[in-house]
Amino acid sequence: MTDYLETQVDKFTFKVPTDRQYNSLGVWALAVGKHIRIGLSDFLQQSSGDIAFADVDPIGTILAVGDSACEIETIKVDISIPSPLAGKIVRVNPLMETAPETINQAPYDEGWLCEIEPLDWESDVNNLMDPDAYFIHMKQQAEEEVNKNE
Amino acid sequence: MSEPKKVIIVPCSGIGKSFGTVSRMVAYQVTEDDRPDSTQLIPLSLLVLGDEEALAALADNPAITIDGCQLACATKMVRESGGEVAQELAVLECFRRHRDLKPQGIGELNEGGQKLAAVLAEEVDATVDALNQEGAKNA
Repeated sequence: MTDYLETQVDKFTFKVPTDRQYNSLGVWALAVGKHIRIGLSDFLQQSSGDIAFADVDPIGTILAVGDSACEIETIKVDISIPSPLAGKIVRVNPLMETAPETINQAPYDEGWLCEIEPLDWESDVNNLMDPDAYFIHMKQQAEEEVNKNE
Repeated sequence: MSEPKKVIIVPCSGIGKSFGTVSRMVAYQVTEDDRPDSTQLIPLSLLVLGDEEALAALADNPAITIDGCQLACATKMVRESGGEVAQELAVLECFRRHRDLKPQGIGELNEGGQKLAAVLAEEVDATVDALNQEGAKNA
């Protein structure tokens, strides 16, 4: 069972599972067999708003770290989701085409975006944040957002 | 003689959000221009306040809810107020069917938002007509 770090900022509750790594925007990376599954953190999906469309790059796309793996259109913003690792997209979550709102409903589970065959995961993972570091970073981001709106 | 049934239209009350603005534009279009004689607009705030007239109207008539986002406040509030939701519509779902009509702006919607509101208003009009025909059959 996955453990979560959890915090409340203003009226919002944000969860961070402890079984994966994160980039600074809030894209998570989780090893699933030989591949790395990626998705949006709870904070990123909540701050982006209801997702209308999620256009994940097709299978076979080669990505460098930071390359856009997916374009997301929400009721508030359009955002590019940078890949947290280099590699090739080998699987795309079919729900992204039929029910992209799954990202809002289950960002860490059914709402994953795609799976990537890593080029050099051992190197890329060293540049990502562990759950504790991301939790602190995310909390600061959330507090800044709240202060901005006050 | 009892008053003829009216379809209650309850839009989203999201302030400062384009999708909420679209839902209210749809409600005004339907209740003021398209179907003024067969519909009645009830703002969400009256249901939250427990306004007696609003609750009575809701108890006697079917409602169409127009939600802006997935929180679906209008639908939830109508149900919590004891109303019958004959049809729940969502601006977000309509946008998914019409991706080229992205609503932007709040006080004043962009062209995409205005067109999206017009499309959704037609859907509400059709639902109102269907409910009225059904009501006439059952009268």
